[in-house]
Amino acid sequence: MSRDNLLSSEQDVLVDANVFFAIGHPSNPKHAQFRSAIRNAGVVCKLPQRVIGELGGPKTDRVQAALDEGWAEIIDAPSPTDGDAVAASDIATRTIANETGKPEHEVEKTDAILAGLAIQYVKDRSTAGVVVLTDDKPARKGIENAVTAQGYTDVISVYGLADVIGDNSGDSMRLI
Amino acid sequence: MRRVGDSLKYMDSEQAGMNDTNRIHPDGGIDVLDPPPTDIMDEETLEPARLAQNAPRLETVVQLLNQPALARVYVYVCYWGPVSPPEIMDDLELSKSTTYEYVDQLVDFGLVDRDDSTRPQQLTADPIIIVEQYIPIVITPTVLHALALQEVDEDVEYFMDRYGAGKLIAALRGAGLHFAGKTTQRMVATDIDVRETEAMMIIYALEPALTVGRTHDPFFEHLFPDVHDQMDLPSLDEGDGAPAESDSHE
Repeated sequence: MSRDNLLSSEQDVLVDANVFFAIGHPSNPKHAQFRSAIRNAGVVCKLPQRVIGELGGPKTDRVQAALDEGWAEIIDAPSPTDGDAVAASDIATRTIANETGKPEHEVEKTDAILAGLAIQYVKDRSTAGVVVLTDDKPARKGIENAVTAQGYTDVISVYGLADVIGDNSGDSMRLI
Repeated sequence: MRRVGDSLKYMDSEQAGMNDTNRIHPDGGIDVLDPPPTDIMDEETLEPARLAQNAPRLETVVQLLNQPALARVYVYVCYWGPVSPPEIMDDLELSKSTTYEYVDQLVDFGLVDRDDSTRPQQLTADPIIIVEQYIPIVITPTVLHALALQEVDEDVEYFMDRYGAGKLIAALRGAGLHFAGKTTQRMVATDIDVRETEAMMIIYALEPALTVGRTHDPFFEHLFPDVHDQMDLPSLDEGDGAPAESDSHE
């Protein structure tokens, strides 16, 4: 079940904060699987400052560990200003509102902005491609819809954690 | 402690969203929004004999809520019973003396039945449920499991220390809605008023309670009437009925 070809070293991998919680603590097998998938692909997880927020306290120690080990870095991704990027965040907002049955103004801006950040990133930098990783299903759907609607599917791929390390299975979980 | 005035003021601002069935109560259902109507209690319900009958049950649930280690043994027996004390020792990694102490306590409370006719003795437990819609309170084995996880999961322990049981139950409900695709993790953070990273942390930390609960808790639907069959969670691979615990990294 080799999934190494999913990520390649030419791509920039933008990661939402939830991925670091989905993989658990360093003692969790998923954590090791994800870390080696990232390292084997020769990429570094780029964590936009505005999606991770403030680090500190025991709950973000696993993010800090990844930063210390060098397979993740915090980047200051420019805000979406390009027309396509701004529209992408709007599409993501509408999709998330639709998925969750909430009014658009109740959709968290940070959930929707990753779509805009990804497109802005492609516009600003010469990149062979961008991968957006998020384990939050409604948020992921928002980004996917935005990328498709704006015609960026050839340069931006959207994946969840299971796409990188395989389907999660109950036998790696302490049940009680 | 919050003062009563604070809590009422806080809840007033929340009233607008209260009709939404997906609404997670920010405090997990501890504060009373409005007093319940007086006619929900009738003479029959308030018969002294009936109250006396139910009193021990209330006491035992309070014991479980206050002793997560005890709740953990109860939930284990409830989900995987009949089980023997040595099985509890092995699967929950408890000492022999602790195991028997908890089992004796649970038997005394009437929560666990002990069959001494076989060697080793076999233990079973009926699932308990307490639902109070006006407060609201929902306590099912899944909820007790979530509380018990603080014994073995540092993330649940952190969250309990910081926010308490009411908010943990709210987070459990939020986690279920998230795994059903009905809310984002950041929405849960806002709904229950915790930091985004704290919501992400607790949602994944509570995954075991949801994963087991949806197949083993007969009252799972009481907590998730809307999404009980829609959650995207790992499937349990249980050969002999014992918990499929991780051995892969040990």
